[in-house]
Amino acid sequence: MALDIRNLSFSRQILPVIAVVGLIFAALYILSGQPDRELSDPDREPPRTPEALADEARVAGSGIVEPSSELVQIGSALSGLVTGLYVQPGDRVSEGQTLFTVDDRAVRAQLREANAAIAEARAAIAEAQSAQATAASQLSLYRNVDDPAAVSRSEVIRAEGEASAAAERLRLARARLDAAQARAGSARTELGRLTVRAPIAGEILAVNIRKGEYVSTMGGGGSQPFIEMGQTQPMHVRIDIDEEQAPRLAMGEPATVSPRGASDQQVQASFVRAEPLVVPKRSLTNSAAERVDVRVLQVIYELPADSVGDDGLFRVGQQVDAYMPAKAGE
Amino acid sequence: MIWIAIRMLTGDPQKFFGLVFGIAFSTLLITQQLTIFVNLLERGASGVYNVSSADVWVMDPVSRTTDVAYAMPSTALDKVRGVPGVEWAVPHIRAQASVRTKDGDLEGVAVIGVDDATLIGLPKNMVEGSIDVLSQPDSVIIDDVGTTRMFPGQSPIGERLELNDQRAVIRGIADAVPSFTSTVVLYTKYSQALNYVPGTRNRLSFVLVGAENPAEAKALSEKIEEETGLKAQTREEFARDGVQFIIDNTGIPLNFGITVALGFIVGVAIVGLTFSLFIRDNIKQFGALKAIGVTNGKIRRMVAAQAGLVGLIGYGLGVLGTVGFIQAFSSNPTFKGFYIPWQIPLISAAAVTIILALTGWLALRSVLKTEPASVFR
Repeated sequence: MALDIRNLSFSRQILPVIAVVGLIFAALYILSGQPDRELSDPDREPPRTPEALADEARVAGSGIVEPSSELVQIGSALSGLVTGLYVQPGDRVSEGQTLFTVDDRAVRAQLREANAAIAEARAAIAEAQSAQATAASQLSLYRNVDDPAAVSRSEVIRAEGEASAAAERLRLARARLDAAQARAGSARTELGRLTVRAPIAGEILAVNIRKGEYVSTMGGGGSQPFIEMGQTQPMHVRIDIDEEQAPRLAMGEPATVSPRGASDQQVQASFVRAEPLVVPKRSLTNSAAERVDVRVLQVIYELPADSVGDDGLFRVGQQVDAYMPAKAGE
Repeated sequence: MIWIAIRMLTGDPQKFFGLVFGIAFSTLLITQQLTIFVNLLERGASGVYNVSSADVWVMDPVSRTTDVAYAMPSTALDKVRGVPGVEWAVPHIRAQASVRTKDGDLEGVAVIGVDDATLIGLPKNMVEGSIDVLSQPDSVIIDDVGTTRMFPGQSPIGERLELNDQRAVIRGIADAVPSFTSTVVLYTKYSQALNYVPGTRNRLSFVLVGAENPAEAKALSEKIEEETGLKAQTREEFARDGVQFIIDNTGIPLNFGITVALGFIVGVAIVGLTFSLFIRDNIKQFGALKAIGVTNGKIRRMVAAQAGLVGLIGYGLGVLGTVGFIQAFSSNPTFKGFYIPWQIPLISAAAVTIILALTGWLALRSVLKTEPASVFR
């Protein structure tokens, strides 16, 4: 059948061609329209298992970086206004170094009062001593008179009484001096307590008070500690391990630790100790009413020295992911 | 001889177009309804398919689909990470929340919290903005279908919402396949999602796992189940769970099954009647052909050629109609992500073949019984 334009039949020729072309078009449309369900690699590096543990039995945990001394939250023994602040975050302090001082005017006034009382007591002693001397010489004068008629008996009794009263006054004045000295001593002790010193050598991590603020012995506003410090050389990580997984952990083996967000930078942290107490898991949800039903074993590892410090990978309070080897044969 | 059969067929345009229309209509009905059926069912799996990088999903043993999930304690993540063969594992939270819009309206939304550091769990592509906006405070990314529902005719970028008394700012639009209920989806970081969803004790809905060897995801999921006591499903299994959930809990399979059956019956009825009438009308011609010595086999081939032509044209037009339908509605958010699975045209082709074979065979019986002499009667 030769194709002849005059003989072209819609039903016999055009329609089948339309159908075939339509089918080809539909096939292409359908095949190109299949949904994209290919698996793809994640854009950003997730925390991956370290090479060495890839096919080994292992335990994973997450944790927080902390100072090796744990976090020391400095408190104040006495309440009052802050008059001097001698450290700022990042400072390294030695043990006993002054951190901040609390208003001492009231205590200094007490000290001056006590000092005045000391002076007064000293003056009273001197006065009593001279009175005693006078009374003693008067008494000895009467006693040295041989003629009993020259001095009446009552004169002698009065002189004896004056002498003993003068001795008593001296003792009283001495007791007053002791009391005043004790008051001065306690004022000086208070003065010492108004100066807050570093309990250990370490690094100042946070300062939440400023000059002029009121510190109370009950803690700061919003239950923030006044100053947080800790020994950051070396630095530790506290890894939480689910209590169900805890028996599998090989104690003493180093852990592979990476910080959140930089999971491609893994370091080896050496084992320090496992906490003897299994504690409820602290979920960092910032919720006040935290309820938990999972308990975790906390294991502490020491971070290598080159990964901490000012340019280091790890900072106190940072969250980390960790992989530890499990016991052999499990 | 075949050519004669074709001329015979197209000789009566009314009957010819009746036949073509019958086939085209049943093809369209079967293909289009099956397509919508499959796509609606796969809406149940959209939550799984939107996450493009997870080989295995780990969940509480009672969790069933991406939307029907029971939360686990947060240590489940570490348990999963401890299983050999797991290359990486990240947390994933899916929860329902109510959002208050600027106008004061309340809208139910799904909040999906993805891993803070890696953002694994977000859809692969973005319509507007980049996934990095999540690093800004209080950021959420809305899905494109949710945009049309919540902010019809305006850009949602920069809009403020209130979620659980917290501020949320929309900073991006994700290109995602909507879920079965077309709920508005807000993507945010895991830690942020914990604040947006009213608190319960356990929050972690899923752990998304990347296998060291993706080809052995099935074995890995079994290993995770064995070692952690949690339920682990490969991506395909979990997608199937989502589909099965819709089959179990809705009337969709029954409804669409009825429509597809109707398409088949209408096809059989129209084509069968028209074909029988056509053959009966032409019985004299067949008799004449027989009289000049054409064998029954030849006649069978002639009828087959007629059926084939009708089938080809009708089927082609029917499939073309379905493609046109899907294409025309592809911009409608209700049909977002709809596609024609390649199996469906094959199914309708088989149905068309069965219709034609059935009616052709019924019509042929009278032809084959025809005496050549009948032409003279």
